[in-house]
Amino acid sequence: MTYYEKELHRIRAIVYANEAQINTVIGVRNYIATNYELDVNLDMLSHIQFVSKFHLIRLFKKYYGLTPRQYLIDKRIERSKDHLAAGMTVTGTCFAVGFESIGSFSSLFKRKTGLSPAKFRKEQLSRSKSA
Amino acid sequence: MKVTLISIPVRDQEKALKFYTEKLGFLKKKDVPLEGGNRWITLVSKEAQDGPELLLEPAPLHFEPSKVYQEALMEAGIPYTQFDVSNLDAEYERLTKNGVEFSMKPTVMGTVKVAVFNDTCGNNMQLVEEL
Repeated sequence: MTYYEKELHRIRAIVYANEAQINTVIGVRNYIATNYELDVNLDMLSHIQFVSKFHLIRLFKKYYGLTPRQYLIDKRIERSKDHLAAGMTVTGTCFAVGFESIGSFSSLFKRKTGLSPAKFRKEQLSRSKSA
Repeated sequence: MKVTLISIPVRDQEKALKFYTEKLGFLKKKDVPLEGGNRWITLVSKEAQDGPELLLEPAPLHFEPSKVYQEALMEAGIPYTQFDVSNLDAEYERLTKNGVEFSMKPTVMGTVKVAVFNDTCGNNMQLVEEL
């Protein structure tokens, strides 16, 4: 076993000792990852996992480094890029990934990627045509 | 400022280019001849061709401390950097079949699963799947 692997085992025993907590956050992450296009509701999630909403947010952030909401937004933006590149309209994409307003989708998209969804779509489509 | 480039020190650029494209599946993006037979070679991942580029840099051949550092990491089994995969077990099986050598098999570390392989150019590399 390498020095690195030994260190991983040592650190795991300290940082990831609480299996119940880990299973809870993994369950939440998987739920968000597969249901990102729905109205993901933390009250419901905490109910399923039998923990309070605020405790759930804290736990998620502790293990993943970001809040469930931030994770959800990243997931939606990532998926929206696929839709736009495949030619879906900006409006269609917005609702397909679970956003409820074009305005908030566009501004979030621009903040995360540097381009507006319309511009991103145009660039991707012209690239796939020239390729 | 933007993050666009991740440099990987390699002992043999041509061999690295082959390994990273043929075995791992990255795509060559740039290949610019420089002095003394050195090249500026960058790669992108198939899924994110607009994403950050990997630079295959012949640093260990020209700068002794780079070689010393690389050797020490290799000896300790410490990965130089890591790549994301969506299914680590499948990737592990595919690469093993392709003759890639792993110093650490897929191992769960809390909310991620990781494995470490030898890139045959002087580095250990880690694959990580978020759970």
